[in-house]
Amino acid sequence: MKPDVPKVLEILAGRFLFDIAPNVAPSYRQSSVGVSAMLLGIVREEWDRAAARRVDENASLRALFREGAGVVTDTNLRRRLEAAGASSDASLLISELEKANDALRALLIELHASVEQQSGAAARALEDAIWRELAASTERRKLAIAPF
Amino acid sequence: MHELAPRIARYAKSRLPQVAELEVADVERIHGGASRETYRLKLRYRDGANAIERRLILRRDPPGSLIETDRAIEFAAYQAFHATSVPVPEALWLENDPSHLDYPFFVMEELSGFDASPQNILMPPYAAHHEKLARQKWSILGEIATADPEKLGLVGVMKPVAPVDAWRRELDHWTGVIDEDELAPQPIMRAAIRFLRRNPPPAPARAHVVHGDYRTGNFLYDKEGNVRGILDWEMAHLGDPLEDLAWSLNRVWCWARDGRVGGLTSKQNAIRIWESASGLRADPEALRWWELFSSVKGQAIWISSGREYQTGKNQDPVLALSGWWLMNAQDRAALETLGKLA
Repeated sequence: MKPDVPKVLEILAGRFLFDIAPNVAPSYRQSSVGVSAMLLGIVREEWDRAAARRVDENASLRALFREGAGVVTDTNLRRRLEAAGASSDASLLISELEKANDALRALLIELHASVEQQSGAAARALEDAIWRELAASTERRKLAIAPF
Repeated sequence: MHELAPRIARYAKSRLPQVAELEVADVERIHGGASRETYRLKLRYRDGANAIERRLILRRDPPGSLIETDRAIEFAAYQAFHATSVPVPEALWLENDPSHLDYPFFVMEELSGFDASPQNILMPPYAAHHEKLARQKWSILGEIATADPEKLGLVGVMKPVAPVDAWRRELDHWTGVIDEDELAPQPIMRAAIRFLRRNPPPAPARAHVVHGDYRTGNFLYDKEGNVRGILDWEMAHLGDPLEDLAWSLNRVWCWARDGRVGGLTSKQNAIRIWESASGLRADPEALRWWELFSSVKGQAIWISSGREYQTGKNQDPVLALSGWWLMNAQDRAALETLGKLA
């Protein structure tokens, strides 16, 4: 798409903020226009990385599940970890990647809760790897305007 | 003329039958609080020989909101703290009958001429007064912590809680909100909730008044660096005073993005001010529990706002922004409290 989507969103956000909002009344609607500009700014930031970060994260989670399958003692969970670890993203549509990501992160919750209950060095190492993945997940989602 | 003006005038006349020439003017919706539609208005009337003009705020229940709260508690909190050292506007009328304005509402005095924006406070002329504002902000919070809910008449209004159960009640409530409203799995919050249940905090000596949403953005300030009004009591309840302190320290309120809590001062200084004003000690481990809890509570609110927007219950863009802007920051805050942020 030309002009580039991020450029269009950047210009639209600027027009909302500096051209349109000052001429809108009452203040509640003016504020809503400003908030809408912020939303456009976030979409602009997300546009380019949206597929890449989901593909990266889904791959990281699958690798974690392959590791986890060798550690967990619950056989039902182990079987599902093996299946999820062997799966792949069949489509690069954001909606499909997101659906897969939701399923993988739901399984991650189960794995995390399960490994917390297990003793032993392998369980602790897996738990550390889960925390590292969770921290990495917030790096992938970081926004320039976020307060933290 | 705003469509609500004649209806508000009819209602005000029923409340003030002795006055004459009553009219409502300049009704304007403003952003204010997360759970109710907020309107600013002027009420004019003649009372005997006197022409009166009052600036008022009307808070009306919306079809959907960030937080489902009890308007009676918010109204009672304003009434309880009015004319105390905790500055609040005077609460005037509480109306639960939806026939007047389609939804229940309450009316209070407007404290006009002050700012509440968490962004404006970072800029001149307010930036020069950050330490003064911080001293007042956390001193007032200390005063709320020392208030006696029974003497304030809040015990019959707010649900009682045994001190030992204060943490569980709050954690159960906000976990339930996440359970009901999440649009996607929340692995960080689920881990945080498990940690909180495994490591409960010590009980407070008694149940205190907890404001529930005490942060920069929910108080009025003036150009001389004075806090002029504490607003948004919609989540007020009885509980552990560390809940309020921890919420005020939440990383997502670091609006200046430089680690200063509430955009105003260091975390250590805020705690010191609060301890000095309240006479209470913020035990570091207990405070850490409540800080992690405040991330769970914050995330529950952002999750709810996202659901409200997505389901069409309330499509105010601020609800979409809350989810996009703050959810990841809240996850990072939880990880930091747990010592797991890379």
